[in-house]
Amino acid sequence: MIADQKYWNPVLETLPRERIRDLQLKKFKRIFQWAYDHSEFHRNLYQKAGLGPGDIRSFEDIRRVPKVEKAMMREIQCKDPFPYGDALCVPLEEVTAFRQTSGTTGQPVYQPDTWQDWEWWAECWSYILWAQGYRAKDRVFIPFGYNVFVAFWAGHYAAEKIGCEVIPGGVLDTQARILKIKELRATAMMATPTYILGMADTARNKLGIEPSELSINKITCAGEPGASIPSTKKRMETAWGARVYDHAGATEIGAWSYECRNQPGGIHVNEAFFLVEIEDLQTGEFIQEPGRRGKMIITALDRQAQPCIRFDAKDVIEWDPNSCDCGRTFRLIKGGVLGRSDDITKVKGVLLAPAAIEAAVRGIDGLGDEYEVVVDKLGDMDRIKLKVELIPGSEDSAKAIEAQLKDQLRLKTNLAFRIEFYDYGRLPRYEVKAKRFKDLRKKNTNNK
Amino acid sequence: MDDPIDLNSINAKIQGIKKTTEELKHLGYNFPALSRNADRILASIKMLEINITDCIDLDSPE
Repeated sequence: MIADQKYWNPVLETLPRERIRDLQLKKFKRIFQWAYDHSEFHRNLYQKAGLGPGDIRSFEDIRRVPKVEKAMMREIQCKDPFPYGDALCVPLEEVTAFRQTSGTTGQPVYQPDTWQDWEWWAECWSYILWAQGYRAKDRVFIPFGYNVFVAFWAGHYAAEKIGCEVIPGGVLDTQARILKIKELRATAMMATPTYILGMADTARNKLGIEPSELSINKITCAGEPGASIPSTKKRMETAWGARVYDHAGATEIGAWSYECRNQPGGIHVNEAFFLVEIEDLQTGEFIQEPGRRGKMIITALDRQAQPCIRFDAKDVIEWDPNSCDCGRTFRLIKGGVLGRSDDITKVKGVLLAPAAIEAAVRGIDGLGDEYEVVVDKLGDMDRIKLKVELIPGSEDSAKAIEAQLKDQLRLKTNLAFRIEFYDYGRLPRYEVKAKRFKDLRKKNTNNK
Repeated sequence: MDDPIDLNSINAKIQGIKKTTEELKHLGYNFPALSRNADRILASIKMLEINITDCIDLDSPE
């Protein structure tokens, strides 16, 4: 029975490590040649570095290939061929889909794809969904706005490819989506962790429906690191009575990684389709060994219209020293994407990754899911404040909760926070990516 | 125990349908329904190639 098969691709997902490396090197040479031959942007970049296709013979040579940053893509777009600029590797008439980045870090970047690229996107997602147990018997609800953001579009197509029945949750509001899940007995869904928790809250408090009594048995998350933060994952799994799986992807890159059903505390890199390198955040030194955090440099080995070659994704990751019991030979990223290098900021001289705050808040039972962090200055001194909500019924425990929260925050961040409690429902709710970190020190000085 | 996967034999069939589809596309130069559907089939065939053909071609020179 095909549904009993563990792997989407039993050959590639179990390929011996040395063969995976051979495959990556071969495919890197191919995509480098493609970009060099078809894009003026890439050709100029590589010629300036004194590199041509014949110069790529080893992984050491790959590390000499100039990196591409989002700012470079912003700079070329809106020029000819309009609106993508000269990184485009195909004639405009072969572009069949437009998407753009969310613009979280500035002007959105446009992403053209050919029909082959869209087949590839769906193929990447097929690895994800199959590894997470999606099969033809599943009825998948996708509560996503189906717009210019790539988000779950490819998840939709991949679910169809696997044979699932897909319900597009499009323009429905949250309550209507929950009622549709109930009406159709959907078994799986895909959304950001913020929205998964928000839906559970709406189900309970606005509709009187206990989400764990609905029929959802698995949830695939994207867009935020929450599904790899144990306390957030636990909250989602408890609320919905479902297994929650992480995956990481990006508009300019593709869907490059996935958590498997073993939930090994990390995500597998799809190394047959992507080459992931890790660089030290300060020195840029190449990191090969597990346990050292760095910045991800990634290559999509098969993307055609606008190639993604040694893209500086700003994601902070580290290799896991352990392999996964699932039998996949694709390496694991420990704890998923830990944050973004441009989100990591110094407060009182201490490096702070916002995900650590989420881990503390969501690990305490009397607190709601929402929180907000505000950093500002009093004179020359940094101050950091955490706004949280008490869940109804836990008001009498506020003092004990505050002490527990302060302890956890100090343990996870080495910082002393001021805590402000708010009535349940007072903090902002988000439908897609949440903006919970406010650094007022940068106000009026940072217009990136 | 599962049967061993004969990648070479699978690949031969992939290359066969690719060749046939390219011929169909060529015949469809003035027949949009033939040409555009052949294009879509070729994109799907490319997915078979990156799943199978790329893997067995590892030892061959580029």
